[in-house]
Amino acid sequence: MHRYLARRLVATLPTLLGVATIIFLIVHLLPGDPARLIAGLLASEQDVARIRSQLGLDKPLLAQYVIFLGQLLRGDLGVSARTNASVVSEIASRLPYTVALAVISTVIATLAGILAGILAAARHNTRLDVLISSVALFGISMPVYWLGLMMIIVFSIQLHWLPVAGAQEPLAYVMPSLTLAAFSVALVARMTRSAMLEVLGQDFVRTARAKGLVERAVLLGHALKNALLPVITVVGLQFGALLGGAVLTETVFSWPGVGRLLVDSIFARDYPVVQGVVLVFAFLFILVNLAADLCYAYVDPRIRYR
Amino acid sequence: MILCRRLALAVLVAVVLASCGGTSAPTEKKTDLFRIAIGVDPDTLDPIGQTTTTVQNIVDMAVETLVTIDERGAVKPLLAERWETSGDGLQLTLFLRRDVKFSDGAALDAQAVKLNLDRMLDPSLKVPLRGIMGDAIKGVEAVDSRTVRLTLKQASAPLVAALSQTTAGILSPAAIRTAPNTYKDVQKIVGSGPYVLKEFVKADHLMMTRNDAYWGRKAIYQAQEIKIVPEAASRESLVLAGQADMIILPPVADLAALQRDPKVKVKLADSDRTIFIAINNLRPGPLQKPEVRQALNYAVDKKSIIKNVLFNAADPLDAPMAKSLFGYCPVGSYDYNPGKARSMLAAAGASDLQVKLISPQGRYIQDLEAAQAIAGNLRDVGVKVDGPAKSDWPGYVATITKAPAENTTQLHVLGWAPGYLDAQQQMEQFLSLRWPPKALATSFYKNPTVDTLIQKANAGTDASARKQQYCDAAKQVWNDAPWIFLWTQRFPIVFSSKVKGVGSFPTEKFYTVYAEPA
Repeated sequence: MHRYLARRLVATLPTLLGVATIIFLIVHLLPGDPARLIAGLLASEQDVARIRSQLGLDKPLLAQYVIFLGQLLRGDLGVSARTNASVVSEIASRLPYTVALAVISTVIATLAGILAGILAAARHNTRLDVLISSVALFGISMPVYWLGLMMIIVFSIQLHWLPVAGAQEPLAYVMPSLTLAAFSVALVARMTRSAMLEVLGQDFVRTARAKGLVERAVLLGHALKNALLPVITVVGLQFGALLGGAVLTETVFSWPGVGRLLVDSIFARDYPVVQGVVLVFAFLFILVNLAADLCYAYVDPRIRYR
Repeated sequence: MILCRRLALAVLVAVVLASCGGTSAPTEKKTDLFRIAIGVDPDTLDPIGQTTTTVQNIVDMAVETLVTIDERGAVKPLLAERWETSGDGLQLTLFLRRDVKFSDGAALDAQAVKLNLDRMLDPSLKVPLRGIMGDAIKGVEAVDSRTVRLTLKQASAPLVAALSQTTAGILSPAAIRTAPNTYKDVQKIVGSGPYVLKEFVKADHLMMTRNDAYWGRKAIYQAQEIKIVPEAASRESLVLAGQADMIILPPVADLAALQRDPKVKVKLADSDRTIFIAINNLRPGPLQKPEVRQALNYAVDKKSIIKNVLFNAADPLDAPMAKSLFGYCPVGSYDYNPGKARSMLAAAGASDLQVKLISPQGRYIQDLEAAQAIAGNLRDVGVKVDGPAKSDWPGYVATITKAPAENTTQLHVLGWAPGYLDAQQQMEQFLSLRWPPKALATSFYKNPTVDTLIQKANAGTDASARKQQYCDAAKQVWNDAPWIFLWTQRFPIVFSSKVKGVGSFPTEKFYTVYAEPA
């Protein structure tokens, strides 16, 4: 187990190097001059040139790549071209907000999604099943942007219950995490339903029912545990995506997370921050996948990692 | 189990009740907190490093400049109570107020001003908006404790106005060298203004508290919170939900509805930002002919686009600069006349004119939408328009600032907003010395008469002569039509009906220091 973990962690290194190289190339090939953007339209050519050399952008691309990799090996992601603060501190000040939101909405999505999925499967082909499946379809197809603004209109403008923006009070978590969870709930519910339906048709379920177990024990004790593997995969992927892809939700609710940092940095061509954020996202995504793999072994004792 | 559930329910009810208390509207006439929402997350608050007017608004609350402007844009004293220019125009002497203290207790003196100006002029530092202050100032000298003398490389009439910019803000000397600040990079600003920076949580909010030892008229609210809300619809929701007292830049399509809403007031503040379509005057072919460019001006129905696309948040241009600039005079109008446009194009042999139009999206009020309407106007007079194509701002700037040889633009939408209200910075757009890649005169316009007039006006010391020179240059520019002249946009501010005293400057700045409960 420990050897497996160590091997998987070592295997992340080439992946990260690949990600680093690709993102370096992408940001440097994008049209747009960071020095001119930082200086603004009114700045003189001399000031723009000075800023360009202060950012090290006057060096050849290969030299910039070597410097970037050298810094990376020392664990240094560089300094933001926009704010002069270290990229590590920029990301560190935003990451807790993003992680908190991702964790809360994943918990909501997992609990509500699995429950809805079990109900739909247990009441297969009834009105309840149709209702849950339709709501799930609605949840998957609804743009988060629209859902977020609708919630603001109802809960902030009409009812005065919840804050529109910011992350400085507990209630501020309600709307962003529900908005984020909406899509995942639907996905988890649909996945649980189909996995449960498959398992419920198998022999061991019939045996469980034949020996007189109550339906709840059959569903939760026998069927669910066997249906969970694909659900864990989906939850893991969704959690990974939430860590990196909550940009729209963060924008609508003015959430000070990493997604907005990335978008702001792309529009400012702040190369070091874009590179740093993408690398951190890649690393987190790898970790989450690893955690999902380890969960398989917990849920299914037949799986062993060596 | 049941107990647990009841407990959970009780906690939930308590939380909801507590929150209702927390987010309800403040009681009448409370002056503890004024809440503002802006869209931009400040990169830096360092006066020399910032680049956007929104950030300047915040810095200005805490850091003051030697001179400032009034609501109409005229220069007036602030930290300097008066100033003198020498006869040859090569020395500018500023006399400081005696009663000014920084919020850390240090007194303002000439040494503090010298340190700040030297830092602003230091070529090793990143100072994006140094502009003519860098071009004109040779040295700064503290003559005595309250007299500062600037020695100039050449006479520069707009320099005093330029010193009103946030870039020339005066920080407490001690603060420049106290951690976390360094000489190179100031994170925590300490100045002499009516408010003191208390807290800055990146991407979330800034908190300013009142400077009770302020030398001038003291602010009314004990604190002002500036929330960072990038989405315009969310800012609008904040003020409608009573969670902000003032916002800038709501979704422009909602202006009419906001104007009808008794809960809020809308201020369409004046701005010095001119919006235009720059025509590449070097492009071989019909665009080199002034008559063709004039025809394009007649083809565009400015008034109806302002009404229907910009929701009246703009005023048509009657000169190549905004009305608030020193040097402005009205020089003409290209009233919508498609028939005339068509016949002028035919007379110039350009009936089959083909042009490519590009526009940014979301940079200026309804920029791409207006470009689409303009493309329609041009098609109506027989011009074949390819576009408007859009790109993100960084790519857009890269495209329009290429040197003449590689520059492939034909028509592009652009906005230009001088940081101080003197025609000098505006007229750079028509100075052939300022062609890209050197600067941003992106229409590649060249007229030797105009070049001479502008340069004379920039260096002149006699105000009325300068004014006349800018005016003459503007008339010639208008006639040569290097742009399709469009409009100056307004700067929309929305504030709660429960507050008053929200002011603005024509440099796209708001002013809330003397905001108070209505």
